[in-house]
Amino acid sequence: MIDIRSLTFRYDGAEEDALRDVTLEIPDGAFLGIIGPAGAGKTTLALSVGGIIPHEIRGDFYGAVKVDGLDTADNKLTDLSRLVGTVFQDVESQIVSSVVEDEILYGLENFGIPRDEIEERMDFALGQVGIAGLRHRTISSLSGGQRQKVVIASLVALRPKILVLDEPTGELDPSSSRQIFSLLRSLNREYGMTVVVVEQKIMLLCEFAERLAVMSEGRVVRDGTVREVLGDIAGLEAIGVNCPRSALFSSLLSEKLGREVPVAVNADEAVETARRIIG
Amino acid sequence: MTDLFQVVPGNSPLHRMNPVTKIVLTLAVSVAAFLTDNLFVLLFLLAFDLMIGVVGGVTRKAFSIFKGLLKVSVFLFILQALFVRRGNRLFWIVTDEGLLTAAAVVLRLLVVCLPLALIMTVTQPSDIANSLVQVLHLPYAYAFTLTTAIRFIPQFMEEMSGIMEAQTARGVEFDTKNAAKKLGMLLPLCVPLLISSVRRTGATATAAKARGFELRTRQSGYKRYGFGAVDLMGFLVSAALIAGAALIR
Repeated sequence: MIDIRSLTFRYDGAEEDALRDVTLEIPDGAFLGIIGPAGAGKTTLALSVGGIIPHEIRGDFYGAVKVDGLDTADNKLTDLSRLVGTVFQDVESQIVSSVVEDEILYGLENFGIPRDEIEERMDFALGQVGIAGLRHRTISSLSGGQRQKVVIASLVALRPKILVLDEPTGELDPSSSRQIFSLLRSLNREYGMTVVVVEQKIMLLCEFAERLAVMSEGRVVRDGTVREVLGDIAGLEAIGVNCPRSALFSSLLSEKLGREVPVAVNADEAVETARRIIG
Repeated sequence: MTDLFQVVPGNSPLHRMNPVTKIVLTLAVSVAAFLTDNLFVLLFLLAFDLMIGVVGGVTRKAFSIFKGLLKVSVFLFILQALFVRRGNRLFWIVTDEGLLTAAAVVLRLLVVCLPLALIMTVTQPSDIANSLVQVLHLPYAYAFTLTTAIRFIPQFMEEMSGIMEAQTARGVEFDTKNAAKKLGMLLPLCVPLLISSVRRTGATATAAKARGFELRTRQSGYKRYGFGAVDLMGFLVSAALIAGAALIR
């Protein structure tokens, strides 16, 4: 479980707090999407879960983050890394090797995964992310999207209990984005991995995530199931979060009809709602 | 230019050779080049360098690196020829000894630089680093520095050309023929490039730490770097080069 208590963080030299008194509980096995306008503190929160903040990025840190009972401030980043895998936003700078295979091997080697298990994990990670054909390619010959997949695969191979991803589909086309989210879902459902993903594409989150946390100006302002959060369209729009059109549709309907209409999380549900009303 | 530092994959004897042997071979060539003043020996070493390229299946690359170095060499040759004051005057201020010294210096430069560049084109930086850690017990932090530096070269070049294209598109005359003018326009770009690279290396270090950098030991490497027949050949050739150069001088 990830337990964030009254977390306030200000980057060194910054004039304002990036996170303000954030309290959030993420149970084991959750699939949580974090959304919010630019500058809301999403990345800062994501970096705090894996202990990058406060270990690698300095600043004023108040409150506590506990992952599986381990306080991130008291435990070494290396120990936290066994529990939490973090995919950073900047794809380029988190690649340490020059060949795909070596990149996947890197973490496996460091964490002392037994030799006979390494090959199997490598195949699993490459296969799941769909880049088995790139195994022997050099990183410099890959496109941005392919590099992003390599980074994700390198963490999937480590099978951390918790996977934190900061905009993992930033450089991906729509079909690859869906592929990554399908992968996250299967890791979540089949392997019980807790997935925390910062994402701008709300449609993807609505389809794949179970819970949403909405951030604004350093605070978590909404936290609940996707359906609960989408129930308050006006509130979300005021914060600056784009809502899926299916949810807009259902909220407009309930406004026009003057009665409660169930929230449509995706297009199929919107169609279903429309059908029921037309009768 | 970006492909200069790119590894050409293959299965030549040179590709199969242990990275440590390759480094020994490179060092042997350099030592031999500094042991001798004999121009013929230096020429032989140069031919040997190009042979490395042929054996490694990167002949074209070998010659393109050679051509690149040749331009620098011409400049160096003229400087040396003008500044050495010993020997008999041949014409203007140039002496016979000056010419000979200049030729030796330039040949030495070529002989030493070429194999290093060639080894880099047939060996992945991570293999060099891992084998240094495994075989020569180099602390991993140093090996990591080495691979990161090499890995970032093509990236910086990409970034630099990206900035230049962007500025050209906004009317800065980077496509000018005037080299001095171009240099003047390039210098202001160095500061932002430096800052962004420092920031980026910091991020890479963080990412490495988050994947167990500090746990890595000599035994961590998955790939093993053994020595085979081709390595024995490499060591013999290295010894022969040094011995030959020392004897003939």
